[in-house]
Amino acid sequence: MLETFQNRRGELVEALIEHLQLSVVSLLIAVLIAVPLGIWLTRRKKVAETAIGFTAIIQTIPSLALLGLMIPLVGIGALPATIALVLYALLPILRNTFTGLNEVDKSLIEAAQGCGMKPNQSLMRVELPLALPVIMAGIRTAMVLIVGTATLAALVGAGGLGTLILLGINRNDNYLILLGAIPAAILALLFDFLLRQMEGATATRNKTKLIAVSTVLALIIAAPLALGRTQQTDLVVAGKLGPEPEILMNMYKLLIEEETDLTVSVRPNFGETTFVWGALKSGDVDIYPEFTGTVLASLVKETPNSNDAREVYEQARDALADDGFALLEPMQFNNTYAIAIPRDYAETEGVTTISDLRSVQNDIQAGFTLEFTDREDGYPGLQQAYGLDFPSVVSMEQKLRYRAIARGDVNLVDAYATDPDIAENDLLVLEDDQQFFPPYQGAPLLKAETLEEHPEIEDALNQLGGLITDEEMSELNRRVAYGKERAYDVAEDFLEQAGLL
Amino acid sequence: MLIEFQNVSKRYDDGTLAVANLSLTVRKGEIFVLIGPSGCGKTTTMKMVNRLIDHTDGKILIDEREIYQFDIYELRRNIGYVLQQIALFPHLTVEENIAVVPDLLKWPKTKTKDRVTELMKIAGLDPVLRSKKPPELSGGQQQRVGVLRALAADPEVILMDEPFSALDPISRAQLQDDIKRLNDELGKTILFVTHDIEEAMKLGDRIALMRDGKLVIVGTPDEIRASDDPFVLDFTQHGRGEADA
Repeated sequence: MLETFQNRRGELVEALIEHLQLSVVSLLIAVLIAVPLGIWLTRRKKVAETAIGFTAIIQTIPSLALLGLMIPLVGIGALPATIALVLYALLPILRNTFTGLNEVDKSLIEAAQGCGMKPNQSLMRVELPLALPVIMAGIRTAMVLIVGTATLAALVGAGGLGTLILLGINRNDNYLILLGAIPAAILALLFDFLLRQMEGATATRNKTKLIAVSTVLALIIAAPLALGRTQQTDLVVAGKLGPEPEILMNMYKLLIEEETDLTVSVRPNFGETTFVWGALKSGDVDIYPEFTGTVLASLVKETPNSNDAREVYEQARDALADDGFALLEPMQFNNTYAIAIPRDYAETEGVTTISDLRSVQNDIQAGFTLEFTDREDGYPGLQQAYGLDFPSVVSMEQKLRYRAIARGDVNLVDAYATDPDIAENDLLVLEDDQQFFPPYQGAPLLKAETLEEHPEIEDALNQLGGLITDEEMSELNRRVAYGKERAYDVAEDFLEQAGLL
Repeated sequence: MLIEFQNVSKRYDDGTLAVANLSLTVRKGEIFVLIGPSGCGKTTTMKMVNRLIDHTDGKILIDEREIYQFDIYELRRNIGYVLQQIALFPHLTVEENIAVVPDLLKWPKTKTKDRVTELMKIAGLDPVLRSKKPPELSGGQQQRVGVLRALAADPEVILMDEPFSALDPISRAQLQDDIKRLNDELGKTILFVTHDIEEAMKLGDRIALMRDGKLVIVGTPDEIRASDDPFVLDFTQHGRGEADA
């Protein structure tokens, strides 16, 4: 734990500052919207239920979906994250402002009127001060919500403590998860403390304390601005969650910076295909590694004309070209569904292809993911294509099936061909000699106009074309996921050995 | 200052007539008590004076000027108001509560401070209470502060809406004596609402008995006692307005 902390201290500080800024700014904006709106609603009781109901509906949208919806509208980074956080924070603040003001004793409002206060004076001198504890409770609820949800901001490239948590989940590194989660919890407590102090100072009208607390909050907002943001680069390379995209991104960066005068920054751990794809379209991201199979299935939505890797790549490349995108030369590895068995078992039985399994199929105890057992391009299709029928098939969760094969409970699993677990557990991926599985080759995806502007990128990145086998990729992934090496170092290491740096 | 009701009615949007064609005059410097069973319109009548409720027909004049001609906030600041629920602002100190109207009138700070000192002395409130919050005070002390809040800017008219009904009998008797004394010494015009006939008889220079939004009788306590109207007899003998049951 301490070691993880030492190694990642710089990242932690940066993530913490990003998280702080994102949270405080979002909370402040939410307060500035929801409190006046809540006040207005107490004077428009008929609209109130509808308005509060509407914010409740926003709250039911899963945070990930809200972030995803935001990308096509406002791109990636702090902006969509802030908007999403503000939307989430509206409900508790709005509801408590409305309830707090409504619960003020009617006779006190009558007393204020009877004394000759104007509506504004009654609001400022009587109603708001009396509703303050309820309003502050709403603000504190919103704050906890924001600090927690802000961990998802990492998925749209807004940084924050979520970066460490995501990385930890990806790398099977519990310490890294804690390194993100514990500061997030401390942050929530710290904010709660500051807000309580502020509430106390307002109630007792202790001006010195109020100024002190406000100054602390202002410093929190201003501090990151003073420290300066990461500098602009010519190109931004991004990638989905996981070690493999991160290694490839760093290879792109290294190659482009080696071969050209361009500067490149990397933004790892984007949530899903739609997130990075959206970011590429909106121009927030310039290049990211995508799979040929995914291009057809998810981006251009075409069915593959064949299961030949080259033909699939060409189909994907041509379809993308029509939309103004360029898919450069794919690497050799094919991160598709695969069948893996223990290497020593493969050697004793002389099995190297899926067809070879026919001779040993009565010994096979298979452990498949539920998805693989169910999909037409999974086990059912495989049975037909190869004429296989295993005597024992159990379905289990992704990670568990690797544990099961390591313990010897099963001796055959489905896999993604470059999973780090293949190298980690010394498994052999069997050759798909009938070309049953659709190919998923990795290749750099970018806008055609980016290529027109910087044509030198093409040559730099095409050096990777045809390079890196399934086994090599699995080993690189293993070094990052299990060996705790940095993606950048692993990428650099590989490129040096390949003689490209 | 004199308050005059001329054929005043209050009809709510739903059609209920809370006060019907009421005419009466409150003379300068007197304690005028409005009494009657609950729902008779006495509180409505009182609240129409400082426009917490607006009348729908007739005229209400203060010193011969129609109340709709005054600026509503100026009008209220020049009329003291004491509530049944006491309704001191719980987040403000005793001093700040008393100073509410002077502050709204933008009195100089020192003048307000001196005024608070003076008032607390008149009401016999310990000066240490100045910086206390209302919840720390007894019920009797709270309503004394409530009365001082109404008196603070030295208004000529004070409206009191069943001000002592929430108090224990001893505090009630003391505050009734205080009000009587204040009225004698300061010459304020007081419009006082109650449902307690003994309180009305004790305090009122004149009393108006109301029923179903209408006046039944107006007169001095002696005149009320002398009446042979069955409703008046019933109300005075049984007290406290059970007559409407």
